[in-house]
Amino acid sequence: MRKLEMYFGPQHLGMVGNFSITLQVEGDRILEAEANPGYLHRGFEKLMEQRTWMQNFPLVCRINVVEPDHIELIYAMGVEKLAGIEVPERGKYIRSIYCELARVASHLFGLWAYANMLGFDTVANWAMYHRDLLLDLFEELTGARVYHIYIRPGGVRRDFPAGFEDKIVKTLHKIGSKVPDYNSTFFENKLFEKRAKGIGKISLQEAINMGAVGHAIKALGMKYDIRKIEPYAAYDQVDWNVPTRKDGDAFSRLLAIRDDMIESVHMIFKLIDKMPKKGDVYTKTPNPFKWRIPDGEAYVRCESSRGELGLYIVSDGGLNPYRVHFRTPSYSHGLTILEKALVGENIADVGNIMISFYVVAPEIDR
Amino acid sequence: MKKLKDKIEDLFDNVIINDFYQNRIFVKTNKESVVSLLNYLKELGYDHLALVSCVDHVEENEFELVYILSAYIHNEHENQEKTNIIIKTRISREKAKFTSIINLFENAEPYEREIFELFGVDFVGHPRLKPLFLEINYETPPFRKDFDTRKFVDDFFANIPIIEEIEDEK
Amino acid sequence: MDRNQIGKWLRSPQKMSNKYSLHAVYFCTGCGIIEIPPSITTRWDAERFGIIPAPNPRQANLFLITGYVSLKTLKAIIRTYEQMLEPKYTVGFGSCPINGGMYWDSYNTIKKLDKYIPIDGWIAGCMPRPEAIFVAVTHLWTLIEKDMATGYIKYRKNYKQYRANQEKIYGSLDWPPLYK
Repeated sequence: MRKLEMYFGPQHLGMVGNFSITLQVEGDRILEAEANPGYLHRGFEKLMEQRTWMQNFPLVCRINVVEPDHIELIYAMGVEKLAGIEVPERGKYIRSIYCELARVASHLFGLWAYANMLGFDTVANWAMYHRDLLLDLFEELTGARVYHIYIRPGGVRRDFPAGFEDKIVKTLHKIGSKVPDYNSTFFENKLFEKRAKGIGKISLQEAINMGAVGHAIKALGMKYDIRKIEPYAAYDQVDWNVPTRKDGDAFSRLLAIRDDMIESVHMIFKLIDKMPKKGDVYTKTPNPFKWRIPDGEAYVRCESSRGELGLYIVSDGGLNPYRVHFRTPSYSHGLTILEKALVGENIADVGNIMISFYVVAPEIDR
Repeated sequence: MKKLKDKIEDLFDNVIINDFYQNRIFVKTNKESVVSLLNYLKELGYDHLALVSCVDHVEENEFELVYILSAYIHNEHENQEKTNIIIKTRISREKAKFTSIINLFENAEPYEREIFELFGVDFVGHPRLKPLFLEINYETPPFRKDFDTRKFVDDFFANIPIIEEIEDEK
Repeated sequence: MDRNQIGKWLRSPQKMSNKYSLHAVYFCTGCGIIEIPPSITTRWDAERFGIIPAPNPRQANLFLITGYVSLKTLKAIIRTYEQMLEPKYTVGFGSCPINGGMYWDSYNTIKKLDKYIPIDGWIAGCMPRPEAIFVAVTHLWTLIEKDMATGYIKYRKNYKQYRANQEKIYGSLDWPPLYK
């Protein structure tokens, strides 16, 4: 059969995000895949070297559109580490609750993309609607739907408004009551099983060699979660599990995502119960225009919805960072693992596999 | 049990170790021993390459390559310290060149491509060193400290004229 | 269909059907795309306004340029725009295509999108809310009705200037000119 070169994206219905893959195909089978990123490269890390420590907050959240909150958190954590700032107890809890809400919202977005790709439009519509309910919470808390800029060095920008905890619980109950519906229409649906089982399978050894993190490695049975390994914020204060699966295909990755979402919701309830009712939410920081951070370097990490998120940050004692480098989970998922996982699969499954790894293009390009 | 810091110090000369923060070990070493150090740590169970980065120290005329390792969870290495190891080495800025570590860690491939593109460091043994992100050629690789983005923007984008509409002749 | 508009439909059916069936190109050019899924699903439901994503630029007549445009994306945008059939309408979505937005000093994003392709309308903000998209669409209706959404005609007329600007960025383009 004749070999063909096929450009998959950036303008393609099966592509979520501005990303491109060059495929060598024979019939319907993929012989070779080459990821072609860079459509969203803005040179963030260079721009951040020209702005002050505080001015960088509006920039960093734009690195990942789907889930800006964890990027804010990691940058704030990096600055705190360099400057030696402590976060007050209530601030830690609020950060945890806020980040878990962001995780659920982000997973719902992923579920939208995945269900849409497989043609489950009903589920896609539900997921997007439920995400919107969470965005309403964010809007009340921070004033913005997408880019919140809520976390700052030393804590969070402001305390929860009165009665906000109850609103969170109410919204999450509303979404949680639909989990049986999601299960019966999507996760336990034979069609989903047929489309996802055995697709995009990687072995544990391959995953370790290629630096898989997040649900990609949780779907292989390894409980690799930074919230457990190196607890930050208030994750060590409550009891929770890392959900895992065994098979390492698209099916188990999606189920790992669902379990992660449910675990997050339970965690939010526990965090709200245990949260100190009063207290400061942030530590005061110096005047941002004159804020010099002593020279040094730090590597901080946290668990975003797609896996380990890291930040290597260097200060030379000046008003601006000397060098920042984000280690984003999609980077190895989208550039190394995807190229391997696509080989031997069907063209129709490219989007399926890509979204099951939850590759977010702006996070790769930065 | 021997601490990781002592183990590294015993085996390798030319290392300066700083464990100022909790759970972080900063290892400064010369460029010859980086690969063997990475190899040794990988065998110890630190098999997750989190990041390969590069810092431009323009005043000293040197690049600093940074490799960050951490450990996956394995049953056989239960007692290992859950720590991040940050290995740093300096290379010269003129005709910057270093060995590729793809044989050790597969996911170093895009990181090295990125550093090649944004800093101009050549990685020997890399199978496809071609541009990853950028579409046009910049005279200086853009992440170097001597590349001034504001000047570039003024020179490059501001010179493109606004479209002047041609008037209809009636 | 609004009953009061029957006269308009009889007078200029083509204009009316262009207006009420805006098929958007499915191209996620930047971070603005995050507000498109909410607007096309149940809660905001863009189909009320006749907007639906089209699978192919050749079947589309609305190009939402969602967010900042990097140099690599601009190439794809020009190609996609040239593939679309006339009449075609473009809307710049978010602050970044207007003047570079927060990436004003970035070396890899273009600053003013209307130097390279014609834009019929802008939506300011980062992110514009779904309501802003609908406001923009109703404005676009008015423009179409008054024959003011003429970006594609401008592109044809001033093609030499547009092409020269595009070539200034890339040196040379690897496809032939669309118009003579």
